[in-house]
Amino acid sequence: MRSVKHTLVALISSALLLALWQVGAHVLDSQILLPGLAPVFKTLVSIIGDGPFLANIGATVVRAFQSFLIIIILGSVAGVLGGNFPLFSAAMKPFVTTLKAVPVMSIILLAFIWFTSGQVPLFSAFLMGFPVMYVQVESGWRSIDGNLIQMCDLYEIKGFDRLVHFTIPSLVPSLVTGARISLSMVWKVVIAAEVLTVPRYGVGSRMQLAQVQLQTDRVLSWTLIAILLTACGDLLFELIVHAGAAVKRTVDRRRAG
Amino acid sequence: MKFINVSKAYAQNVIFDRFSLEIEAGTILAVVGPSGQGKTTLLHLASGLIEADSGEVVKEESEEGAVSYLFQEPRLIPSSTVFSNVELALRSTERCAKIRSQITAHYLGLVGLWEDRALYPAQLSGGMRQRVAIARSFAHQSRLMLLDEPFQSLDIKLRYSLMKAFLTLWNESPKTTIFVTHDPKEAIALGDAVCCLGDASAPLLLQKIDTPRDARGIDDEALLALEGQLIKALLSPRG
Repeated sequence: MRSVKHTLVALISSALLLALWQVGAHVLDSQILLPGLAPVFKTLVSIIGDGPFLANIGATVVRAFQSFLIIIILGSVAGVLGGNFPLFSAAMKPFVTTLKAVPVMSIILLAFIWFTSGQVPLFSAFLMGFPVMYVQVESGWRSIDGNLIQMCDLYEIKGFDRLVHFTIPSLVPSLVTGARISLSMVWKVVIAAEVLTVPRYGVGSRMQLAQVQLQTDRVLSWTLIAILLTACGDLLFELIVHAGAAVKRTVDRRRAG
Repeated sequence: MKFINVSKAYAQNVIFDRFSLEIEAGTILAVVGPSGQGKTTLLHLASGLIEADSGEVVKEESEEGAVSYLFQEPRLIPSSTVFSNVELALRSTERCAKIRSQITAHYLGLVGLWEDRALYPAQLSGGMRQRVAIARSFAHQSRLMLLDEPFQSLDIKLRYSLMKAFLTLWNESPKTTIFVTHDPKEAIALGDAVCCLGDASAPLLLQKIDTPRDARGIDDEALLALEGQLIKALLSPRG
């Protein structure tokens, strides 16, 4: 009942947003400033039907996925090291603080000087997402319950058993939170970097080209596609998290007999 | 087990100063004492979690090896089921998964939690969690058992039901046990001997209880007198 209510509120809120857009388009009465819903959706359908549509989507998805994977792996490893070794944490602090403070655009512009246009989104997304993942895992490691560590020591739960049954499950909430925040950040940075560097294929490149030609309907259509991509990515992530939890519960039940 | 001239201090705070105490093998020593007088330190010294500044803790051959520790709080792994929480404590000593499952089933059965074996700690009541911890402490193949106020903060009915569960398991395989509590009644109900801490160099009171555990009634005059002695020792200026 509660979820039905929430869905209903979300639907009404979305409808209100679309209505505001339509009213704004009607008031401004300009295809360049703000085209209405109908022309944008018509353009959206024509974009989806275009030949290079999948190549553009694919390029952005691959860049986002690659940078996300690198963030997860390196952020987790560095986070565990930082949580475990205070000296490593102290050495990482200036990097993390700097990366958290530097504007996204500075990173993208600098990366564009150093790398090719296809590599810039990957590099920029990594630099923006890595500190988030690192900080989450590091604090997650530090907040592992000391009483439970003492219990594991006394009951001689060690090695692989301790890793699988205690350490990793204790870190899962931090890993999931870090990954969730990084993922939503990765889409935005990858697309922003594509806008600035205009690689051959990419959602951001299409947005930039449409903007240069004052095709606002195309800019909005590609924006809607970017929103859908982010939403699909988030959904897939949540599905993986839920599937992982369900598999663990099944394995636990089987082990309990 | 013997504590021989043991000294232990935390900075300027002297907990034990040439303190000696003997615990008969295969019996339960119940230890009472005000907070900060070394009850938990005594357990940590016995378990080897901390070392004495000087003096020795000597164990008999039957007490050497693994230790089972029952804490104030259950300390269960939240992401593991009731079954796993017990079974994990067996892995260091028992390689065969089938035997581990049988031992786990045995102890969970004795504490009345076999039906709940697939539940997670968050799905259990406080009393059920502590029963899992009791099952784990017995399933662990230990030679020495240390209890740090495990029945504290539970209502009286639950407390006595857990003490009964504990004694059922303990009677199956008696081992040297130090049971720390704040409650003189609990100490008398469970201990083969009671000891009151409060002085850094010697127990304020150390007395064997001759009445068998299952014959101890709440109106037993000798036990009521012992309870009175314990309370007096606890309230004494040194206690």
